[in-house]
Amino acid sequence: MPRPLELPTPLLRVRGLSKRYVRGGLWRNRTPVSAVAGVDLDIFAGQTLALVGESGSGKSTVARCVARLEKPDQGQIWIDTDIDAAEPARRSARERLLQRNRVQMVFQDPVTSMNPRLTAAQVVEEPLKIMGVDARLRRDAARTVVNEVGLSADWLERSVMEFSGGQRQRLALARALVVRPRLLVLDEALTGLDLSAQAQIANLLLDLQAAHKLTYLLISHDLPLVARLADTIAVMSGGRIVETGPAFEMMASPKHAETLRLLAWARAAQSNLAALSGASA
Amino acid sequence: MSKLSASLDKSPFLHANLPPTRQLRINHSRKKLELMGELCEIRGLSITYTLRDGKRIRAVDDLSLMIASGEIVGILGESGCGKSTLASAILRLLPAHADREQGTVLFRGVDLLTMPESGLREIRGRQISLIPQDPALALNPVLSVGVQIAEVLRAHLPLRPKERRSRVSDLLGEVGFDRPQEIYGAYPHQLSGGQKQRIAIAQAISCQPALVIADEPTSKLDAPLQAEIVALLAKIRREHGLAIMLISHDPALFAGFADRMAVMYAGRIVETGTTAQIFRQPLHPYTQALVQIAKSAVAASARTARQPFSAIAGDSPDPSHLPAGCRFHPRCPERMDVCSQRYPQAFLPEPSRPVSCFKYGE
Repeated sequence: MPRPLELPTPLLRVRGLSKRYVRGGLWRNRTPVSAVAGVDLDIFAGQTLALVGESGSGKSTVARCVARLEKPDQGQIWIDTDIDAAEPARRSARERLLQRNRVQMVFQDPVTSMNPRLTAAQVVEEPLKIMGVDARLRRDAARTVVNEVGLSADWLERSVMEFSGGQRQRLALARALVVRPRLLVLDEALTGLDLSAQAQIANLLLDLQAAHKLTYLLISHDLPLVARLADTIAVMSGGRIVETGPAFEMMASPKHAETLRLLAWARAAQSNLAALSGASA
Repeated sequence: MSKLSASLDKSPFLHANLPPTRQLRINHSRKKLELMGELCEIRGLSITYTLRDGKRIRAVDDLSLMIASGEIVGILGESGCGKSTLASAILRLLPAHADREQGTVLFRGVDLLTMPESGLREIRGRQISLIPQDPALALNPVLSVGVQIAEVLRAHLPLRPKERRSRVSDLLGEVGFDRPQEIYGAYPHQLSGGQKQRIAIAQAISCQPALVIADEPTSKLDAPLQAEIVALLAKIRREHGLAIMLISHDPALFAGFADRMAVMYAGRIVETGTTAQIFRQPLHPYTQALVQIAKSAVAASARTARQPFSAIAGDSPDPSHLPAGCRFHPRCPERMDVCSQRYPQAFLPEPSRPVSCFKYGE
């Protein structure tokens, strides 16, 4: 997608983000492990950045820091020109809540990220309840948002356990969208779904982005999949971004060994499929 | 014997893709059939779960399938289609609320579903083994992985401890560990997901079984690792000549690996064929859609002008409310009136390509 020469301020700007965890027991063998080391990112409004890498490369830690589920050790995170993550202590609780609503996260496993005792309505309305929105408005908002994600409002009274994997991921999207965020952090949100459900959710993400000018931070290990959704790709390895660029460029001429590794399997699978399909001629 | 051949004839999925001579001979004698390499034959299998509220769900419905010695058969189906129930049913590992209504699973001519539990212990792990979907759950967290592989050997083979230990080391080497001695004493939590899956594979092949059932062995792994695990399974088949039944929802996993594929939808097999046939010319509309999605999924191209993903409309049916007629018809782009009225029998548009779809006959 061609970009204008004069760029606006990015919706999300991350500078020098670092996070270390301590591995080991409570007292002994405590060794700090660097999960993320000096990550810089920019995402412009209405665009998608895919952060890809193998398990343990630190991509989920970046996602959790952006969503304020983790406190970064170093670095700054601006959302919509506010330094949101760096100095949250100076804000009131109410302000922080509203700030947080600008970023919502969708997790990989919609089964474990939802309370199985709740109904769909309770799941979707929960974020609004926390904000103190009254019941009637909450229900209206829930009805609207489940329609947007392609579910029927008649299903709101069902238990979340009655939904299939793909439907539950739609519900997870509805829960994230109900507070009308600007940025969605999707942490492996397409992983673990059947291929056709995965394609449906991918299409839904494209439609929602077009309708609401949403910005996505997509976290995945599946580079070929996210390349079809992303404007920009950043490849992570060992806590650092090792290669980044526009999606079409990265897919046309990947350079870093890690990028090539992430693509190798897809290329092998593709040539396998081509060999099988070509055998007909 | 004539009764047997009659029932065999009724099920076209059974001799799908066998060369014509083999098909002919099936009608003659059981014994010959064994010599020609039939290993496991599932016939008319139906499995029903009874839920707590008394509702009954038929997860596997009148399913027939044959696996030959040394063959890799891929079972392709989306979640909830009954493919894991099928895997558990073969080894009789179904939970208590599952009920086999009918059908047989003949392994080397013996029905596994009616044999006594004591005999089954000789089969499980020894002749048929299972590679679980999630090795993190299947491995014991408080035992070292070497001990867990040795456990399988101890249960089945009369080896001295020293021999057992060296056999475990060999197995660890075989599944791709460079330093087997170091891995032997490692605990599951010290290993990565891919390494744990390799341990589970070492367990599964430890007694050189004739059939390995791999139930979504790669679904918890990163994409590059998935390819490595499949390559490992292919190598094991080459070296040991064992048969593999690989279950997955991803068609791409079977390409270049499986010999034959069976496509399952809502408890039934809708199409079988060689892997090349399935990818070159899928016949059932469901298979056609899945193959199309799989091809675009590995195309490794960047998005151009928000091109939508090809997807199958709608969701897989709720197993307690299956649609009447063909179970795929509510999602099928090519449905006809007849599709909602009755279930299509298996037609043979090409020799040894059974497909349950009214496009190919009435």
